[in-house]
Amino acid sequence: MDQEFMAKVKMEVVDKSTAPARSVIAMQLKDVAVSFHGRTAVRDCTFDIAKNRVTSLIGPSGSGKTTLLRALNRLHDLTPGAKVAGQILLDGVDIYRGDLTVTELRTRVGMVFQRPNPFPTMSIYDNAISGLRFNGVKKKSILDEAAESSLRSAALWDSVESRLKVAASNLSGGEQQRLCIARALAMDPEVILMDEPTSALDPIATLRIEELMTSLKQRVTVVIVTHNMQQAARISDDCAFLLMGEDRAGELIEFDTTEKIFNNPIDPRTLDYTLGRFG
Amino acid sequence: MSDLVDLQSPHEIGHEMRDEIRRISDHLRRRRQVRSTIMVALCGVALAVTAVPLLLLLFELFHRGLPVVLHTGFYTQLPQTPSLVAPNVTGGVSNAIIGSIVLSAYAAVMAIPVGVLAGVYLAESDSKLATMLRIIAQTMAGAPSILMGLFAFSFVVRALHIGFSAIAGSFALAVLMLPVIVISSEIAVRGVPNTLREAGLALGAKPHKVSMRIVLPAAVTGIVTGIILAVSRAIGETAPVLLVIGGGYINSWKPLNPVSALPLSIYENAKSQWPSLRTQVWGIALVLVVFVFILSLSARIWASRKQRAR
Repeated sequence: MDQEFMAKVKMEVVDKSTAPARSVIAMQLKDVAVSFHGRTAVRDCTFDIAKNRVTSLIGPSGSGKTTLLRALNRLHDLTPGAKVAGQILLDGVDIYRGDLTVTELRTRVGMVFQRPNPFPTMSIYDNAISGLRFNGVKKKSILDEAAESSLRSAALWDSVESRLKVAASNLSGGEQQRLCIARALAMDPEVILMDEPTSALDPIATLRIEELMTSLKQRVTVVIVTHNMQQAARISDDCAFLLMGEDRAGELIEFDTTEKIFNNPIDPRTLDYTLGRFG
Repeated sequence: MSDLVDLQSPHEIGHEMRDEIRRISDHLRRRRQVRSTIMVALCGVALAVTAVPLLLLLFELFHRGLPVVLHTGFYTQLPQTPSLVAPNVTGGVSNAIIGSIVLSAYAAVMAIPVGVLAGVYLAESDSKLATMLRIIAQTMAGAPSILMGLFAFSFVVRALHIGFSAIAGSFALAVLMLPVIVISSEIAVRGVPNTLREAGLALGAKPHKVSMRIVLPAAVTGIVTGIILAVSRAIGETAPVLLVIGGGYINSWKPLNPVSALPLSIYENAKSQWPSLRTQVWGIALVLVVFVFILSLSARIWASRKQRAR
């Protein structure tokens, strides 16, 4: 590998000096493995998700990024035959075996999906506060306040303020995805998981979501799965690189700050991937 | 590059070769055209075979029924038996119209909540019980409708000592409607994208809340279409009500009274010795058809509006 070539293609990692240091840990993964009907989909995942930072999970298709992400708020619970081994700690409490109900966990660890999925029968307003309603909040003043603040945080308030009662499906794809982010934010979660949140969006909508994620760091910890190398470089502070092993199970190859992963990784496979040699 | 085959560019293909290709393609095109014409003709014949009896039936229905239904007395009067002095006095069928409305309304009230919830359960559960219920529903959907009448007769009329009544007929019709509602609800609920369920769960909603607040509203168009289908089918059924409603000759909205029904009136009048009553049959049939038509039309309009609102 000649230095000249590397310098030319080196991914530009945006300066993250504003992000807080990796001092406080939001979630800890200890030797996490997920299997379906005894077949391991992803394993050997041990890393810490630092508070108020953006952690990206990158790797080629089939490396288990999404599977790992979904383990973080127990979305595999309903999949028959799914088993999560190892430990995942939220604030030091094991989310699978600890003293934490699955519904409480999910109110503390929110999720945004690959395709915008606002509830089609609900209005923009109802979508934004749907999580609160599901959890029994009825007081109108609280709901109104939560709707406004979450929509503001998702940079959506100004464009929807006058049409809160309109069906959410009238929004554009990018707006719908921001509504889904608002919906997650309304629960005031500690962590938001994002599963390729911009893969179904156009470049401008993508940019707005990325800006949003960066600003959200102030209040939440973000974990994002992305296929897009530039996106990972632009927005994430820390980065986990996963790869499919010999037996078709994904495994963690390397975890470090994004800067390190993209510019100076330890494992040669990480370098190959971030340079676009495969995947 | 060297191991790639050197492709001939078009102008290097010889004239003979080009003529040969054109000849073969012309031949193939002609064969395709002949086949296509035959298939289109066959489709046309099939369409005619389907449409002609239907159109004839509708024509006959309107031709003979329209003169009957244009009298207001047909809707407001009770039936009268013609006599030799007044062979054309048939009265109306108000009792049967009210009876049909009463029967299908009570039946819908009984069948809809149970059917929809059972459908949701079948769609959301993979248990053995669900599999068993599904098989039962499918079998019931194909069962002859007289069976429901027999069941209602032995259970409601006899065993519960309720006697011939609207409620017994509604019960039979409800049992008839149930499998249709269950199956169509299950299909509608299964059609709701899984990402919506996951979105609900990821917000900390409990599974039953996800089912009732997210999945059910999203499936409502399909469910309502199924309900209307079931009601339309039930309202035209004669066999299940024949044995149990008692054929009441008064206007009654009460569940425990005997009632009549439009299909039952058709059945009875058609057997009559009086030509005037036999003519009235067409009017009753027309009312029934229009009833069902309005039901399904309103369901369609409602569903398409709902769809557009999304």
